Amino acid sequence: MSVTTTTRETTGARATVSTLERLGYRLQRLPLHLVIAIFIAIWIVPTLGLIINSFRSVQDMSSAGWWTVLFPPHGFSLASYQQVLQTENVATSIVNSILITIPATVIQLAIATMGAYAFAWMKFPGKDLFFIVIVGLMVVPIQMTLIPVLQIFKATGLAGTFIAVWLAHSGYGLPFEVFLLRNYLGGLPREIFESAEVDGAGHAVRFLRIAVPMTVPAIASLTIFVFLGVWNDLLVSLTYLGSSPNRPFTVVITQLVTSLGGGWQFLTAAAVLQMSLPLAVFIFLQRYFVRGITSGSVKG
Amino acid sequence: MDQIITAVVAVVGVPLVLFGYIILGERVIERLPESLQGWIRPYFWALPAIGFATIFMVYPLVKTVILSFRNNADTTWVGWDNYQYFFTFPDTLTSLRNSMLWLVFYTFFSVFLGLIIAILLDRVRYESLAKIAIFLPVPISAVAASIIWKFMFDYQAPGTVQTGTLNALIGTVGQGPIPWLVNSTTNNAALIFVGIWSITGFCMVIISASLKSISTEVLEAARIDGANEFQIVRLIVTPLLWPTITVVGTTMIINALKIFDIPYVMTSGAYDTDVIATQMFRQLATSHYARAAAVGVVLFVAIVPLLVVNIRRFQQQEEQR
Amino acid sequence: MTEVLARLTSRAVALGLGGLMLIACTAGGGGGGGGASSTDVTVWSAWGGQELKAFQDVLKPFEQKEGIKVHLTTVRDANQLAINVDAGTSLPDIAPGPSIDKLKDWVSKGVMKPVETALGDKFNDYIANTYPALTTSTGGGDNLYIGIVGGKHYELMVKTQVKGLIWYNKKVFTAAAPKTLDELLAIQPPAGAKLFCAGFESGDASGWPASDQIDNIIMRQSGDKVYTDWINGKQKWTSPEIKLGYQTFLKTVSAATVYGGPNTALSTNFGRAGKPLFASTPGCLFLEQATFITNFFKEDYPNLVAGTDFDFFAHPSVNPQYDGNVNGFYDQFAMYNDTPAARKLMQYMATADAQQIWVKAGGTLGAIKSLSYTDPIFKRAADVAASAKNLLVTAGDFMPSDMQHAFWKSLLNVTKNPGSLDAELKRLDQVQSVAYKT
Repeated sequence: MSVTTTTRETTGARATVSTLERLGYRLQRLPLHLVIAIFIAIWIVPTLGLIINSFRSVQDMSSAGWWTVLFPPHGFSLASYQQVLQTENVATSIVNSILITIPATVIQLAIATMGAYAFAWMKFPGKDLFFIVIVGLMVVPIQMTLIPVLQIFKATGLAGTFIAVWLAHSGYGLPFEVFLLRNYLGGLPREIFESAEVDGAGHAVRFLRIAVPMTVPAIASLTIFVFLGVWNDLLVSLTYLGSSPNRPFTVVITQLVTSLGGGWQFLTAAAVLQMSLPLAVFIFLQRYFVRGITSGSVKG
Repeated sequence: MDQIITAVVAVVGVPLVLFGYIILGERVIERLPESLQGWIRPYFWALPAIGFATIFMVYPLVKTVILSFRNNADTTWVGWDNYQYFFTFPDTLTSLRNSMLWLVFYTFFSVFLGLIIAILLDRVRYESLAKIAIFLPVPISAVAASIIWKFMFDYQAPGTVQTGTLNALIGTVGQGPIPWLVNSTTNNAALIFVGIWSITGFCMVIISASLKSISTEVLEAARIDGANEFQIVRLIVTPLLWPTITVVGTTMIINALKIFDIPYVMTSGAYDTDVIATQMFRQLATSHYARAAAVGVVLFVAIVPLLVVNIRRFQQQEEQR
Repeated sequence: MTEVLARLTSRAVALGLGGLMLIACTAGGGGGGGGASSTDVTVWSAWGGQELKAFQDVLKPFEQKEGIKVHLTTVRDANQLAINVDAGTSLPDIAPGPSIDKLKDWVSKGVMKPVETALGDKFNDYIANTYPALTTSTGGGDNLYIGIVGGKHYELMVKTQVKGLIWYNKKVFTAAAPKTLDELLAIQPPAGAKLFCAGFESGDASGWPASDQIDNIIMRQSGDKVYTDWINGKQKWTSPEIKLGYQTFLKTVSAATVYGGPNTALSTNFGRAGKPLFASTPGCLFLEQATFITNFFKEDYPNLVAGTDFDFFAHPSVNPQYDGNVNGFYDQFAMYNDTPAARKLMQYMATADAQQIWVKAGGTLGAIKSLSYTDPIFKRAADVAASAKNLLVTAGDFMPSDMQHAFWKSLLNVTKNPGSLDAELKRLDQVQSVAYKT
């Protein structure tokens, strides 16, 4: 009789202590969660605010903040989007953005991969010097190159064309890409190449049939990076395509500010449209994205 | 329609041309005597990359430096005149000062917050979701981010309904609205904050990856020894993460010096928020090419130490290979 | 292996060469696309939003009647045309004329074609019908402001705006219009309202409304000689006349006289500056702006009726000697490629029919005197333009761009901090000493 009572009592006592412990633990963690919640709020709320604002009419936007949509009347409207899309140049510029981004990405990655292979697997005099120059160039600000390149474009008649920005983006992106891909390619197992060489495969085959397929993960991550970089670019296009009908969306958005005189309200829809592509890419291709960033900067 | 065709041709054509270049080139090279092959081949392969880098970066770099010592029409030498302009006109000096502000605060806070957030999130179960939230501003363009925050900073006359989130918030505690972007005590801070907001997620992701690789035993041992969390972070985690922090920090410093989009879109550099890059662009846009070149050179000179650091680090890594 | 390689190689070669050729072919065509001909015209304008729509309305009848396609591009940056001229790349057929410092150069290079050529025998009609202030140079020499070089006209005037008008809500301000600036400043606004509303924000061009205000003061305070010297960099910023102009301007944007104080003036976009005029509790009595502001009023308050709800009175006198000076600006086009289609478009734009459409779209005066204005406001504005002795341009627009930028910024800075006036003026002198040299 007494044994059972003791056991139940002991179990009971231990059970009470555990609950208290757990509660104490949770309360201790409250500040942590609070701080994190504040950070998350700071990072999400502004974007949310803009997206909500883009679905309101101009009158609403200029008379009350976006949080008022949470209370009736909610005032949902597509007017901003209609207005922006009907504005001259906007629709064209969105197409331009696409037409600039895809070729620019493809061109630079193709060239970079080739060059990286050479730097990774071939010996030649001056290789180290060249590579150091490339590493150094990664740091050089684009601003340093704007004027002479602009002059080159003018002299060759390429000013204001798509080709100009494709080439420019490629030139600017190459150092980083060659650097990254060389590291990756250099990490591929030597034996595979050697056995292929023994089998009689020349460099062309080794590159196209072995190196490239094995580099696909790195190229995939890099592609996303480069793609978004060009899509989001303002300075390069502003300089080389400032008033050309070929200018991309980012440039047109900044120009909408002055020409629309009514102010910033009209830009909400434009900004949301511009962000939606990168956000979509990010949401669907998160893993590659993050991998790309971390692999580039953290050396194992 | 023309445009679309050109684009498609470029996307398909360029890899194909390179494809052909490689295959054809190799066929020719293979015909050459062995000794010559090893000599010609690497240059052949690396030629496009080196060519592009030279045309778009090396040559312009040199040309810009030269141009900075000439006049805007590039017809005569003017010695240090453009630099004198840069260092004596209040406008350009302000941009220099502001770039220094960006350098210090943008770099420090984006790395610091990235570190803190990485550490905090490491301790909660919903870490992945939270990370997404913080990282979200990274892929969006600085143009979009600027517009987002323009609305956050919006200012309406005192006594009227505030449409800007920040002014509405401080309104709830009775504080009158602040013109964040006009007021010189707040505007640079506001712009730099937008920069930090956009890039912290990037720092966080990188630091977090490194953080995960710290062995838990070391941390456990420290906790058993009686160290509290703050001490652990300060004395163990941070030193272990130091290499990563340096890499991220260097990248942030370079970003800070090159910053253009945010000041350009949000204030156009008005009310003393100009930075070196916007100043340079304005000179460029008004055809003062030589002056713009001088501004560019100043920017470059500021970056040279980092160039050296980067190269040195690279060489160290190479030795370890 | 070698067979595979051979097949790959030949395919690659074929595709590669084909690719190269395609790129070469399309690259040539995909460039600027300046199809100068008798069936197409390329036009650049700086207009966006409402103004652009109005222009498109003007062009529609032309396209239908003549069967000519107009390719319109909005080019905000005034320097772009200059960049193209310098680079020798293709120019639009028709675009606004350049800044003053480039005008003579471009004319001498033959970049711009005379309006006389474009209009042919219709030129004399154009001169007779347009406001004299827009087409004649006093003294008969060059007038770079309106594009007259070497006795020939290079800019076709199509629209006019009058600036420096004082707008008010008719239901709120019912007294007689003040005659002098001092009278204006002495008016007591109703409780809760200030004398003026102002909005200086405008993206990269922030400060231009402020410059309009100070221009209107200076031209009436110190006369057109000082004014034009000032534009040409011959009048120092620290001179007593300009300093007085700034001080007078500051009276209109002080915490006591402007709605919401200087901070609001600086943060409000110019298009929205007039909103408090019509609020249920009015925030201010007056807004100084140009004729185009009426469209902005109607954006915020669609039911406003010109003449019943709002009206303007001309800028009050400062120094009666200089009353004939009116601040206006105009939109103009120059012809850069002499093609049959371009000529036709120029001729069309010089007609009353074309300009009437602009006028109907609202917010502007035409350049032709005889247009009919249903809007009573514009009728009166047209009278102001017609009776002007000198239609003086907006100073900043005709200064070198560095100078203009520094000017605008200085206005923003002194509005924010009136105590900095002397420092700002000294800074402006410093910029002036460098800006006017090429």
